[in-house]
Amino acid sequence: MAEQTSKPKTFPKLLLRNAAARGADPAIREKSRGVWRTMTWAQFADETEAVAAALMARDLKRGAHVAFLSGNRPRLYVAMAATHWAGAVATPLFEDSPPEEIAPLLQQAGVTHIFAEDQEQVDKALRILPTCPSVRFIIYDKDRGMRHYKQPQLVSYADLLRDGRARLAAQPGATRMEAERGQGEDAAFLFFTSGATGPVRGVVHTHAGLIERAETAAAMDKLTAADLALAYLPPAWIGQSLFSYGQSLATGYCICCPESIETLFTDMREIGPTYFLAPPSVLELLVSRVELRMQDAGAIKRGLYKMFMALARRVGDKILSGRGVFIGSRLAYALGGLVIYGPLKDVLGLSRVRVAYTAGDAVSPAVLGFFRALGVNVKQLYGATETGFFVAMQRDRGVRPDTVGPAAEGVEVKLTPQREILVRSPGLFKEYLRDPQATAAVKTPDGFFHTGDAGRLDDDGHLRLLDRVADIGALANGALFSPGRIENRLRFSPYIKQAAVFGDRRETVCALIDIDTAAVGAWADTHEIAFTGHADLAAREEVSALIAEEIAKANADLAADPSLAGAQVSRFLLLHKELDPDDGALTRMRELRRGVVAARHAPLIEAMHAGRPRVQFDAEVMHEDGSVTTAEVDLRISDAKTFPPAPSMKAA
Amino acid sequence: MAAFLPSFETPALLFFVEVLVGGLLSGLMYSLVALGFVLIYKASGVFNFAQGAMVFFAVLSFVGFQELGLPFWAALPVTIGLMILVGMATERMVLRPLVNQNENTLLMATIGLAFVIEGLAQLAWGVDVRRIELGIKDEPIMWLADRTGIFVSQLDIVAGVVAGVMVIVLSILFSATKAGRGLRAVADDPAAALSVGIPLKQIWMLVWATAGVVALVAGMLWGARSGVQFALVLLALKAMPVLIIGGFTSVPGVIVAGLIVGATEKLAEVYIGPAFGGGIEGWAPYMLAVFFLFIRPEGLFGEKIIRRV
Amino acid sequence: MMDMSPLTTHTRAFPIGAPILELNGISLRFGGVKALTNISFDIREHEVRAIIGPNGAGKSSMLNVINGMYRPQEGSITFRGQKYARMTPTRAAHMGIARTFQNIALFKGMTVLDNLMAGRNLKMRAGVLEVALQLPRARREEIESREAVEEIIEFLEIEHIRKTPVARLPYGLQKRVELGRALAAEPKILLLDEPMAGMNIEEKQDMSRFILDVNDHYGTTVVLIEHDMGVVMDISDRVVVLDYGKKIGDGTPDEVRSNQDVIDAYLGVAH
Repeated sequence: MAEQTSKPKTFPKLLLRNAAARGADPAIREKSRGVWRTMTWAQFADETEAVAAALMARDLKRGAHVAFLSGNRPRLYVAMAATHWAGAVATPLFEDSPPEEIAPLLQQAGVTHIFAEDQEQVDKALRILPTCPSVRFIIYDKDRGMRHYKQPQLVSYADLLRDGRARLAAQPGATRMEAERGQGEDAAFLFFTSGATGPVRGVVHTHAGLIERAETAAAMDKLTAADLALAYLPPAWIGQSLFSYGQSLATGYCICCPESIETLFTDMREIGPTYFLAPPSVLELLVSRVELRMQDAGAIKRGLYKMFMALARRVGDKILSGRGVFIGSRLAYALGGLVIYGPLKDVLGLSRVRVAYTAGDAVSPAVLGFFRALGVNVKQLYGATETGFFVAMQRDRGVRPDTVGPAAEGVEVKLTPQREILVRSPGLFKEYLRDPQATAAVKTPDGFFHTGDAGRLDDDGHLRLLDRVADIGALANGALFSPGRIENRLRFSPYIKQAAVFGDRRETVCALIDIDTAAVGAWADTHEIAFTGHADLAAREEVSALIAEEIAKANADLAADPSLAGAQVSRFLLLHKELDPDDGALTRMRELRRGVVAARHAPLIEAMHAGRPRVQFDAEVMHEDGSVTTAEVDLRISDAKTFPPAPSMKAA
Repeated sequence: MAAFLPSFETPALLFFVEVLVGGLLSGLMYSLVALGFVLIYKASGVFNFAQGAMVFFAVLSFVGFQELGLPFWAALPVTIGLMILVGMATERMVLRPLVNQNENTLLMATIGLAFVIEGLAQLAWGVDVRRIELGIKDEPIMWLADRTGIFVSQLDIVAGVVAGVMVIVLSILFSATKAGRGLRAVADDPAAALSVGIPLKQIWMLVWATAGVVALVAGMLWGARSGVQFALVLLALKAMPVLIIGGFTSVPGVIVAGLIVGATEKLAEVYIGPAFGGGIEGWAPYMLAVFFLFIRPEGLFGEKIIRRV
Repeated sequence: MMDMSPLTTHTRAFPIGAPILELNGISLRFGGVKALTNISFDIREHEVRAIIGPNGAGKSSMLNVINGMYRPQEGSITFRGQKYARMTPTRAAHMGIARTFQNIALFKGMTVLDNLMAGRNLKMRAGVLEVALQLPRARREEIESREAVEEIIEFLEIEHIRKTPVARLPYGLQKRVELGRALAAEPKILLLDEPMAGMNIEEKQDMSRFILDVNDHYGTTVVLIEHDMGVVMDISDRVVVLDYGKKIGDGTPDEVRSNQDVIDAYLGVAH
């Protein structure tokens, strides 16, 4: 087909197309020193070419890997595009990973060049340099504190750019040819899986695959160059890289980089994105900000808020989804828009949002409902690193809280008899890096990918997610035990940040609960309970009672679902210390690593299952002055109310 | 030109607009008085009870200089100079010795100051009611009346324009500028202000002198309307509701509040006054102020009082 | 665990120079109470100089003498070779001496940004009339100052509180803002009065890093007072030790640490 040959199939070609078609339009904006600074598509392309020239002069080979240790900054994306320009593979890593986590990834990929945001990241790169001999150059963005560094591998971005421009001037055209050499089948990105359920694997994606997914998803939501997105999540997450790089290049919309993660919400309000991606945790944060503000508001404002939110929860989603609503309610909702919803959306920076997705985790119906009630079009999306993200997406007017929507265009979804979700898509990954065996294990001969997720397809094609296939088990009495779904339900409570439940081949289900310090702390304040910190809160009997109530509510919901009713949480304890990605209990995207948690807390789990009222546990305690000692912690184990299965649903 | 002016068909609407415009313009004159309070309050955190006395003193001196034979254009700079001197003397003799005293002490000092200034004024110029001649008539502008049917006094227009200009200049000066920050810095923490090189004494003098000049302008305009007499001292009381509504620290706040007070007072008098047997002009603004104290104690533009636990 | 030793050897961008400030025979009395007795020492350009001593040793008095808040009865101050019998805060500010206060003296009702802008007071030369009429110089200075202040905001990583009134900030951040306000004046000498008092370990480390970065990046001479020995010894080039208003030690941290008078008078008492 003629059209296909003319369509750019690599990211650099898309960049050049954008520079030609809309060179003067903004491509990336960044708030820096209090001012939004704009990089146009022409500047983006121009700078990318120069950086590519400099990188190639520094031995960047086609197919080599460049690691990125940086937050969302224009220079990160220029360097990423330059990497692609030179035919190399971009490997974004989590900025907050410690050196010992990063070293094996660099070794596995044989990374030759590292792009580091600042001194902190450079320090990390330098520390692992001795164990990663393949690394030739470390490019750093911010030069603060770098004056004393004399390592030969180091080069500042500014110097690199200057050198690249000089090379372009001396030898025009040579670098441009390198971009032309790129083919759609070339590897573009290497993402590492989060390792929530298995070993960390490098997932290779091609230019063509990701571009196809980016373009299809953009077309489904009618995204155009006039849209605006916020780049604020870690680029090491495939979702962020697709939103801020892939789809931006595919459609030409501008991305905005906030000044810092602390200023995120003010910056967001200033730019007013139209396209927004947020994991459920960010949405929860936004909701709690609103609730906190309302606690401080005057009585009149609070009364209005309550009244109009009640109305919005009743009719907002229906109006957004175009379903029938009485004219009276419509008018009242319009009034609410003036008084409450409009100002609220403005404060949250959501007033211009046309399309928003939440992905990466299960979202609570209450949180999703909050935004849809306000008229913010938040939809759920399901995808995995290996599937090029977009697998199933809710469509406008077809949002149901309990499903993730029908398969995206171009994607085939089917289920195995064990209910494992299989996906075939043009955006499927090429392979696991240097691991044909693992690749073959998850890819069927006819091109389907085993997601490892269990799910169900409704009659109307909507996909429901259940749990990880490997996690689904049974209690000793044979009742189905699906830890992921129980944990999700528990986490819908604002007071519960993380939960790990254990019950496979046991009599009962027990839970380790990580309380949300901020929310429980606020609760304690209003109930005049004095506390010194997380550990103190978790040790309070009142807090145990609060959580017991929350678990009872969750159990009531579980009881209503015949497939879950048999495995309700009957005992729990509150962890004295928060689960942290730094000790491996969570992934960098804050997903639970249940195996790690189980191994570390084995005595606690045993005590709960044994029915003991308390348990002593040797734990590391961090003191005010930063020193760590081991101390014996005494934890209370509490019971939670369970419910008989809902009678009307017994048929299943 | 006339095409741009609205023409009013119904007499009732015409009358309403006339009352409203009159109210807004006299409101600007309240703002002008209130402005003097805001300046001092911003720089030293004290409610300057003597501001009314300064208005009286200023305009009485101006008239007095004219009576001594000075022409208008000579009397004006001389009086401005005198007010600057009074401001500086006040800073020097009253406020500087009281640095770091609490607000109540300072308030008492300004009450005393008010009596001293009133006494000085009458000692120097006598107690007779004078007329002030500005060459502006308190008569409707015919040009405007012919074309739109609205009768607005020349004096009101001039007062409005003068007040507007002063307000704009002062709000620029005391908003996000070096002078404005200096002013607030001095009020917040004098020692720290000194350490960053903000000249404490100059800032205070600047403020008192400006307050003196503002008092003069307000006094001239009010004097032209109601005669130069002791009652001008009571303007301070008129300024209270304006300050409460606008917030004690905000220059734009007192302008908006002045407009609100002026309009409320005139509209209330004309439209609901008859129901009370008239005379509500005098207390309607205070009712409004009390209402504001309930719903927005910090005023429209005032800073929220921050309480930390 | 990985090796956590420093990755660089420290070569100073601004090598320590000649004395910029000399204090000669300073004595200060409040009524009959002797706060400082015949104290002499110097401060060299680009160095980090600490004044330590137990509570009540006269450290803050010393700082207030340098900054002109207190007028000593005896002694003189020499700044770049020029001798002064007395200093005033205004003169000190004009000479490029900026300071922070032990009990944080920020402009509480103003935002962080306005506090920092106020710190640039002396860098802005436009007069009252120029400002009121917004003449070009006043406008230009306002923009230049904002740019300079934004650089400091980035440097101190306080972007997120730019528009927050300082009274709402927690203690540690207020300390950082106060440092920012002092830096806004682009000082030659920075006087820090117990910059780490009341901070937790993490905040102390942050503050130490900022102080060293300021010294390194702008070449600012730093004079700081602390009673917490630990941190000071790590970041100072030279240390003066005061006790009961008298100087009992002066030298590098190592010299001071091994000085018997200091050990007796200070270390023995405090710990």
